[in-house]
Amino acid sequence: MADKLWFLLPEIWLFVGVVVLSIIGLSKSKSLRDSLPFVTCFFLIVAFIMTPFVYSADRVADAPLLMPMLGKYVKMIVCAVGTMLALLSVGLLDRPLEAAMAEGRTRFDAIRVNRGEYFAFFLLSLIGVMLVCNANDLIWLFLALELASLPTYIMVAISRPSSKAQEAAVKYFFLGAMSSAMFLYGFALLYGSTGTIVITELRDAFTDQTLSEGGLSRLAIVGMILSIIGLCFKIVAVPMHFYAADVYEGAASPVTAFLGFVPKTAGAVALILLLSTVGWSNHHGFNVDGLPREILTTLWMIAVLTMTLGNVGALLQRSAKRMLAYSSIAHSGYLIIGLIAGPPFGLNAVLFYLLAYGLMNTAAFAVLAAFERRGQEIESLDDLAGLRRRYPVMAVVMAIAAGSLMGMPPLLGFAAKLYLFIAGMNAGHVALIVIAALNSAISAFYYLKLVALPLLAQSTPQSETVIPRPVVWPRVAAIITAAAIVILPIFANQLIKASNVANSIEQSALLSATDDLSLVEKVEDGTRH
Amino acid sequence: MFTNTLAVDLNLYIPIGLLVVMALVFVVANLAMTHLLGPSSSGPIKDTTYESGMNPIGTARKRFNVRFYILAMTFLVFDVEIIFLYPWAVTFSKLTPQSPDAALFLGRIMFFIATSIIAYIYAWRKGVFRWD
Repeated sequence: MADKLWFLLPEIWLFVGVVVLSIIGLSKSKSLRDSLPFVTCFFLIVAFIMTPFVYSADRVADAPLLMPMLGKYVKMIVCAVGTMLALLSVGLLDRPLEAAMAEGRTRFDAIRVNRGEYFAFFLLSLIGVMLVCNANDLIWLFLALELASLPTYIMVAISRPSSKAQEAAVKYFFLGAMSSAMFLYGFALLYGSTGTIVITELRDAFTDQTLSEGGLSRLAIVGMILSIIGLCFKIVAVPMHFYAADVYEGAASPVTAFLGFVPKTAGAVALILLLSTVGWSNHHGFNVDGLPREILTTLWMIAVLTMTLGNVGALLQRSAKRMLAYSSIAHSGYLIIGLIAGPPFGLNAVLFYLLAYGLMNTAAFAVLAAFERRGQEIESLDDLAGLRRRYPVMAVVMAIAAGSLMGMPPLLGFAAKLYLFIAGMNAGHVALIVIAALNSAISAFYYLKLVALPLLAQSTPQSETVIPRPVVWPRVAAIITAAAIVILPIFANQLIKASNVANSIEQSALLSATDDLSLVEKVEDGTRH
Repeated sequence: MFTNTLAVDLNLYIPIGLLVVMALVFVVANLAMTHLLGPSSSGPIKDTTYESGMNPIGTARKRFNVRFYILAMTFLVFDVEIIFLYPWAVTFSKLTPQSPDAALFLGRIMFFIATSIIAYIYAWRKGVFRWD
């Protein structure tokens, strides 16, 4: 137990951060309250540095986890992207209240300030994602997913003083609760079919089922599909995608960027863990021929529908935020290709893609978050027209982000997409890759709008009224993430290696399983069928 | 092929079925018997809301101060904490004194209590206990 706690050190450290943030958010000193996002960044950076030391080789060797190194990779990317997201949120909340206090119109009122809570929930949600990758049983997985989601509902609601945000939060909450109920029911059926909730034991139980009965039991398949569909909510995939446009539009841009990365990472990691129990062909060494046919078909359909619907939906949007919401849906479709392809390449690609998507998503929303009109954030695509003339750097950042989302060759998005497609090809899903490539072509149409409008279009009277927000940090975050998008492809090889280590399965478990001679014989019988 | 794992022996469900039948019979019989046997009268007094014998005042849709909710939530923090302390206390007394296990147990509950104290400080700073 104490060994397990070791891996949770970054989370415990961030929890200390949650406590500190919620207390200093109530401080009477304005400078202390203004320091909140930077305190958040400090805790995240320390957690980032701490993680590689926590995951030392000897501790990992006897960890009771299926993919012990997954945590290292996921925690580090979550901390890195989280730092950028925290910078994005500088000066987002309590602006009218702070202004009134600065002018002496109102006194400090603890009950009306929300910033401390916002950043505390921000960190809590990141803790949730980090806990997902440590999960070794379904209850832990469920609780971690909920911890990742619940704070986001509140963050959406308090992100801006508008009934739109509250409407978005209520929609998000109820649909989120429904999806949680779905995958919880799925988990219950998995337990019903195997009698265990421990992920490593589930894997053994499913192997036994496959060997003795030629396939998973129906109960297990129904449970698995329910869990997958419930988790589709987290990664915004069809059939649980419908909330995305409304919620992304309703929330303030920094929170939207957060929604695009954090729940998606949590969902994707949870899907990796869940699917690893039913196995990919080259995964267990002794298991079945790839994913069971029913689950493979489900995932295949989800992938195709998600990317097609996302891209076609994005074509129709006039609002930049809604467009990016649909693009988020489309990217989940690409992501599922990696889940279908399975380890090692597919999962490498998924993990790499999560980092790449987190960065490009943050960069795109950072540009939106950097500007405003009369205190309201900009939403429409037309607001970006002719940005180059007045704010050339931000226009270039938007172009880089959109180009990367589209998959333009020198940028990070291209490398990420390339790895996904190669993994899909390797696993023999040619039709899927053809559909994905067609979708990429469709997506170019709307992503090029995001490139062309700021860089090439003439500014309109409407877009002339757009001014930058008084705080500089969203622009700093935009520039850092854009730089990362340009520079990181050089290190793509190293990143892929890191993600390869992340999803390598626990060696000792594999060895002890193959030592069991009776099982090996069963496998040989199984392959002869 | 799937019979092994979905083996349904309906005999196992007889007690549950019996329970369902009993529940249904109980409800229906009670309603029917009060309807048939009991005296029936109606009037303004009988139609009023039952308030444990008090005369009802005003409407139930009355607004009341949001502070009640906040206070109720604060109460919940400490209520739940105490619920967790009971099983801990029962187990802790059975551990070997001064063993590493005992230290770990003590450390955990101290961490837990510390989080509650922080919740208390937070609520205090937020002005939950101010009643003006």
